Amino acid sequence: MGAKTSVVILALLSVVLGFIQMGDRVSLVPDDKVIRLNFWNGFTGPDGRTMLHIIREFNEDYPNIEVTMQRMEWSIYFNKLMVAGIDGRGPEVFILHASEMPRFQRAGFMATLDEVYEGEDALPVDDFDPNLLKQMRYDGHMIGVPMDIHPQGLFYNAKMFREAGIVDENGVAKPPTNREEFMDAVRKLRIDKNGDGRPEQWGFALTMWRNNFTSLLPQFGGNYFDESGQCAIDSPESIAALEFMVSLGGDDPLVPAPENNLGWVGFRQKKVAMVFEGIYMLGDLKRLEGVDRQLERLKRMGGDPKQIIELEKQVQRLHELESELEQLKGSDGDPNRLKELEIEVDRLKGLQYMAAPMPVIGKQHGTHGDSHILCLQKDLDPEVHEAAIAFLKFISNHDIQWADAGQVPARNSAREAEVFKDMQVQYAFSHQIPYVNYPPRSPAVFELQQQIDFAVEKALRRRATAEEALKTARKNFEDFVRKAELPMLMEEEAK
Amino acid sequence: MIQRLRNACAYLFIAPFAVSFFSFVILPFFVALGLAFVKLDLTSHEPVAFVGLKNFQEALSDQYFWKAVWATSYFVVMAVPLTVVLSTAVAVGMHSMTSKRGRHTVRAMLFLPGMVNVAVAGILWQWFYNGEFGLFNHYLQEWGFSGVPWLSNRAMAMPSVVLMTLWWTIGGSAILLLAALQQIPGELWEAASLDGAGPWQRLWGISLPLIRPVMLFVTIMTTIGSFQVFGQPYLLTRGGPELATRGVVQYIYETAFNNYRLGYGAAMSWLLFVIIAMFSLVQVRLMWGSRK
Repeated sequence: MGAKTSVVILALLSVVLGFIQMGDRVSLVPDDKVIRLNFWNGFTGPDGRTMLHIIREFNEDYPNIEVTMQRMEWSIYFNKLMVAGIDGRGPEVFILHASEMPRFQRAGFMATLDEVYEGEDALPVDDFDPNLLKQMRYDGHMIGVPMDIHPQGLFYNAKMFREAGIVDENGVAKPPTNREEFMDAVRKLRIDKNGDGRPEQWGFALTMWRNNFTSLLPQFGGNYFDESGQCAIDSPESIAALEFMVSLGGDDPLVPAPENNLGWVGFRQKKVAMVFEGIYMLGDLKRLEGVDRQLERLKRMGGDPKQIIELEKQVQRLHELESELEQLKGSDGDPNRLKELEIEVDRLKGLQYMAAPMPVIGKQHGTHGDSHILCLQKDLDPEVHEAAIAFLKFISNHDIQWADAGQVPARNSAREAEVFKDMQVQYAFSHQIPYVNYPPRSPAVFELQQQIDFAVEKALRRRATAEEALKTARKNFEDFVRKAELPMLMEEEAK
Repeated sequence: MIQRLRNACAYLFIAPFAVSFFSFVILPFFVALGLAFVKLDLTSHEPVAFVGLKNFQEALSDQYFWKAVWATSYFVVMAVPLTVVLSTAVAVGMHSMTSKRGRHTVRAMLFLPGMVNVAVAGILWQWFYNGEFGLFNHYLQEWGFSGVPWLSNRAMAMPSVVLMTLWWTIGGSAILLLAALQQIPGELWEAASLDGAGPWQRLWGISLPLIRPVMLFVTIMTTIGSFQVFGQPYLLTRGGPELATRGVVQYIYETAFNNYRLGYGAAMSWLLFVIIAMFSLVQVRLMWGSRK
């Protein structure tokens, strides 16, 4: 061996030994008293910031536990979580939707959480809606802690309602509560100014078709499965729900054509007066609200003083412009100035949205909803499991903070708080909790949802009747379940 | 010794690529082959079971697989010829430009869309195509036409996806073809001109035959890429309306990662591989056969 080669080998050896030594040093850092928890979720919007705030509080209150949050888009989140979880590389704590629980439970990496609801510092079972808590129970055990409930409900544009004269005795916009009022509002709010058959303003528009359908489904007495566990998506009640949606189109359409895509975007753009949507869209609307509402919210939450001062100036300006507008309207003033003022006032007032429970279109109350559930990986070290349980309880006990992120909290006590009643949208949607219809506990839920998507789309485009479309959906779903050798419902497998 | 060191250096240089190629191409290739013959449902407690050709049989009798094959084929039939013809035309146009600066500017502008990530391109074109507020319908309505349901109509959706794909990919292909045109010795054109050949004759007689190998390369790569189309329709339409734009790759993705049926998903990806290989072989034979 030449001298040069020896030098090279020695140099390499020293580098390798250096790394090994460094590795030893790292592992000798006395961090064994700090338990680290990875927490995965899909809170990529403003809800993520709220969650981060709660986690910071937890980390301060529990110095021996350090929670790190990783957020990713919901569209890829579940895939990553499933693969990581099965391989044992998943996070200790994670969020699931109630609708995803059957598949993850079946995959077998979720811990049972009965202890959270038992013992001295247990979460009080009677502080949760029983319908929601039922979604947590699999094989006789609780496997999750619900954080919230996100039902579908009615969003409406209060300004358009006032302009159409749909108001109560105090002149406040009055949302529809039943089918008659709803249809009346849909017609009154549809405005075709130039009479070309293409309304400039629509009273109502469909948004996410499947969710619109599954929100109406329980109102007509329909459901995904019947009591014997058979798929019932083509029951007469389900057909009636879809037929109602189809009836809104036709020769004299009360909703924009399916090709139009004018659903949520139309509502945001003040071209649609009412939509059915989930509470999770609130974050999107907050960006469009007027300066007066922004100021009110910021003051309530104790926001940045500089921002409050700036908003106060804008609100002051809004009031001045409004009084000038009123004067000008009464005195037949300059029409150009009038137009200018109207545009500026409209801009400052933003989107004047409000929320209400779904009107009863069918024969009873009902809506579709889901929930964010805190879950744990099973077979954690006892001390890690204990730390994770402490974290779960902390989050649940801070439910009212979570409500501020645009959610309806799962805890009854949080919903009874005065501060919650000031959250118009969340409070309005919370009235629906007793009759929320959760997605079925089926491991084939993705396929079922997809088949409903196809059926609703086909019916709305009038390429099949509601009955034909839903019968095809049922048949295709049953074929899928048979080929994939899956149980229709988790209960079926438990038997 | 020097020879050995040179060899070692060469291996070191290719090592990063070789490792990633083995990890992300070769290994998954064989893993997918194995998966195609088993039943593997991630949500099931059951152990992995060998099922022979069952997954392939299921795919061949699956209406959604065939719908996806149809949508993919429709995309390929539109996208491949248009890409090859338009990129060749663009390359010839750039090559005939006398101003060097002009040619460089056009080349940079054409290449720019290809530098954009598919997600960015998808979101951008979603807004172009938006029925109510989109750029295209805005101008159509300005000029007195009615808006077009670009992405929400069954007949319009796939052509719209193809249009976006052309915008996104044509620059890259055109630059390859331009490079091929620039390799042709100038004397050939001069001689042809002296013999009285016009522009069309020079194009058909000299340019196209001499850039045929690059055209073959572009055709095969575009065909392979088109059969694997996923990002554009997924971002623009999510496969709708009524599955009109859901290609095979999207269906495989949904089967494997939304329904967690890895075995079945792998079998379909092998079927897609066979289809792509067949088309590529036919193209090679056709192009080289006609050359002989």
